[in-house]
Amino acid sequence: MMGQTPRIEAQGLTRSYDGGRIAALRGLDLSIAAGEFIAIVGPSGCGKSTLLAMLGALEAPQTGTLSFDGEPFPPPHRASAFRAEHIGFVFQSFHLLPTLSAAENVEVPMFESTRSSRQRRERARMLLHLVGLDHRSNDRPSMLSGGERQRVAIARALANQPTLLLADEPTGSLDSVNAARVMQLFEQLHAELGTTLVVVTHAAEVAGHAQRVVRMQDGRIITEVEHAA
Amino acid sequence: MTLAGIAWRNLQARPSRSALTLIGIALSVAAVVALTALAWGFEASWQRAAEVRGTDAVVTRTASQNALPSPFDARVADTVRTLPQVYEVAGLLSELMSVDDAPPMFVFGWQADSFLWRHLKLISGRFPIENGHAEVALGRLAADMLGKHVGATVYIDAEPFALVGIFDSPALVETGAALMTLTQMQRITDHLNRVNLINVRLNDASDETTLTQFRAAVAQALPGYLAITSGDLVQQNVMVRLARAMSWAVTVLAVLIGGAGVFNTMLMSVFERTREIAILLAVGWRRDRVIRMILLESLVLGLAGGVIGVVLGSLAVEVLLWSDMIRGRIDAQITAGLVWYALGVALALGLVGGVYPAVRASGLKPASALHAE
Ligand SMILES: Nc1ncnc2c1ncn2[C@@H]1O[C@H](COP(=O)(O)OP(=O)(O)O)[C@@H](O)[C@H]1O
Ligand SMILES: [Mg+2]
Repeated sequence: MMGQTPRIEAQGLTRSYDGGRIAALRGLDLSIAAGEFIAIVGPSGCGKSTLLAMLGALEAPQTGTLSFDGEPFPPPHRASAFRAEHIGFVFQSFHLLPTLSAAENVEVPMFESTRSSRQRRERARMLLHLVGLDHRSNDRPSMLSGGERQRVAIARALANQPTLLLADEPTGSLDSVNAARVMQLFEQLHAELGTTLVVVTHAAEVAGHAQRVVRMQDGRIITEVEHAA
Repeated sequence: MTLAGIAWRNLQARPSRSALTLIGIALSVAAVVALTALAWGFEASWQRAAEVRGTDAVVTRTASQNALPSPFDARVADTVRTLPQVYEVAGLLSELMSVDDAPPMFVFGWQADSFLWRHLKLISGRFPIENGHAEVALGRLAADMLGKHVGATVYIDAEPFALVGIFDSPALVETGAALMTLTQMQRITDHLNRVNLINVRLNDASDETTLTQFRAAVAQALPGYLAITSGDLVQQNVMVRLARAMSWAVTVLAVLIGGAGVFNTMLMSVFERTREIAILLAVGWRRDRVIRMILLESLVLGLAGGVIGVVLGSLAVEVLLWSDMIRGRIDAQITAGLVWYALGVALALGLVGGVYPAVRASGLKPASALHAE
């Protein structure tokens, strides 16, 4: 690990809202190695989602620097291309498009790739197979259980073979059985695809799956605990 | 799945609102189709009448801007006849008049024995002749509308005329008209020795220079008069211009009204889908793809409304053509050109209504997909 360029290097990130009255991030430093599985924990409102938005180039820090494989993060007009190429997102409330089937939802990010519509369709089937949902590919999200929806969302996040998978409380809306299943899936993806994984979570048992747990409070990192891999 | 497919699903997801918008667009486009069909048909009908009469040029008063040119001294025709380019000359007087109790009808007074009559085909009876009697012939449609047969009496401006013949013509406006000799027409309109148009056949009509020379000759020999092609006469006709202006006005209104409907629908839809659009941006969609998706939805709305509007408008034209006001006066047809025009209007209003909502949608912040669950 030593001497390798980190996948992500964040230094002195700050972000405030309401004209500076709410400081969401206060000079946060974080380094993430390629292929690492990190959990970010901390009380509600401590800035976890804000951090994730920056790691995924959804918004830029007010001050501080971010680099990806040693290169600075792209300027705003290149951010969507960067996201399409490198980043996969999983949200707490799944955020699937209600008018599209499971397979079509998985196809959505692939519009930004060079794949033909046939290739998109085939890859969507393959990814649904990967998350164990072959049989639900034609169903709309409203017909799926919460756990199934989140697995579709994970398949969607993998659509463009991201190097970095970001998940914001992915088990927050699931019961413990489905939560365990989703975490198992993350572990499997991490092990099989080598994807760098950052999971924001409240749940201690979820954090237990990670190689490193980063604890945040008031917009800063207060402790980091390495688990033996 | 394609971008158009996604756009289509989004429209389907809000069926009643999409349907209401479609109705609004369809009615706007139907109005365009109906009015433009009438305006273009009106113009084409007169163009056709000039063609079948074999007229190469007409001589009329320079300042004449009325629906029908105002009458002038019939002796002008004698001067025109002496010009070297001229082969044949026919004076005519025409006016919209009340015939029996039908809505106003075109009544033509044509110089007897002139070339104007040659293209007509008698169905029954004979043509009116210069015999001092009040005689009239009716076009096929006019006779049909009035329910008259040869031998009946027809009242033109309350004066009785003997119906001596019924004829057919390749030009619809003539089949819906009444026809008498120029002298009878001059008598009942109180325009003794006057005509309002002189139809001219030239020696060599295919030769552009003949027409140019003829124009110059008329300008020199007859100050205050003008020789133009019958096509130009139709173009300059106040009623044709008015019909065109109205069809334009309806087109502009349709784009504005239909566009406002699309605008309202799409803006509401974008507001409702703020989160959804933020997600598309978060998973890597470029802003221009979001713009394209919203514009596609707007264009699909416009086009679907346009197709319905063309059907409704065509039906409306069919109905209008059977009304007594229009039957036999305007030959309105739903041409391919008109269908393209209407669909163009429909796409234009979709685009007009969709641009702002699309730009608005593309400006949403992708980070809002993460916050405020
Ligand atoms: N768009 C926003 N406008 C105003 N305040 C915000 C916004 N997003 C987040 N915040 C505030 O920033 C702080 C950090 O929020 P967030 O990163 O969502 O925390 P967490 O995900 O750890 O719960 C909170 O105090 C939150 O209220
Ligand atoms: Mg959060």
